[in-house]
Amino acid sequence: MTTKPPKGHFNILYFASAGSYTSKNVEALPAPLPLRKLFATLEERYQGFRASVLDHSLVTINLTYVDVPGEDAAEEAEEIVIQEGDEVAIIPPVSSG
Amino acid sequence: MATTDEDTFLEQEGCYVALTNSPLNLQSIVDRVRSPQAGAIVLFAGTTRDSFDNKPVKELQYTAYRPLALRTMLSICAALRAKHALKGIAMVHRLGVVPIGEESILIAVSAPHRQAAWRAGEEALEECKARVEVWKREEFEDGEGVWRANRDGVRGERVG
Repeated sequence: MTTKPPKGHFNILYFASAGSYTSKNVEALPAPLPLRKLFATLEERYQGFRASVLDHSLVTINLTYVDVPGEDAAEEAEEIVIQEGDEVAIIPPVSSG
Repeated sequence: MATTDEDTFLEQEGCYVALTNSPLNLQSIVDRVRSPQAGAIVLFAGTTRDSFDNKPVKELQYTAYRPLALRTMLSICAALRAKHALKGIAMVHRLGVVPIGEESILIAVSAPHRQAAWRAGEEALEECKARVEVWKREEFEDGEGVWRANRDGVRGERVG
């Protein structure tokens, strides 16, 4: 299994095309991070990642699918925030079978 | 890495799902769903093809988000077992390098009568291809490699 992220971080897993684009399968990013800022944070690290991969991908937090709100979404009281120790994954379109 | 090379499986009443890096065994998946109350067992074996759009493929490589893929496979199997009153349903996907012509997925279902078994087998494969968190990479003879999408260009649907 994935190594536990360092204190104050969460793990993000990159599968298939996400892994090819970032040249890694997993990395630790600073937590907490509001979910609506996730794609912008990743785009900053990997230019072009959003259009190539993220816009066609789904996101899970701790094995549960979540809706990623747009960045301009108003800050809401119940907004999802990625927490220290969470496991986030980028799920590109699947191709089993 | 998020994954290990060990076999992993989940099971609950009448349902068995697994991911493995080893060659798949047709007889053992059939035996998993065998039942004295069944009048039919349908087995589907998906094998790796040597070309994509006439381009020669050297080998295929599969990777998975193992814990999530197993969960999704089990939820597909449990839903189909209830819908078609199956006696048993099993789904095993191979990961890692799968040489051309070998099985990458096996699905076996048993039911009292053949109609339900045929239908459930087909639905299980379609649901698996649409939802299970497994990815296929085709390595072409010319050295290029491509991550394939079952619904190329289509955004994935959120699944429960």
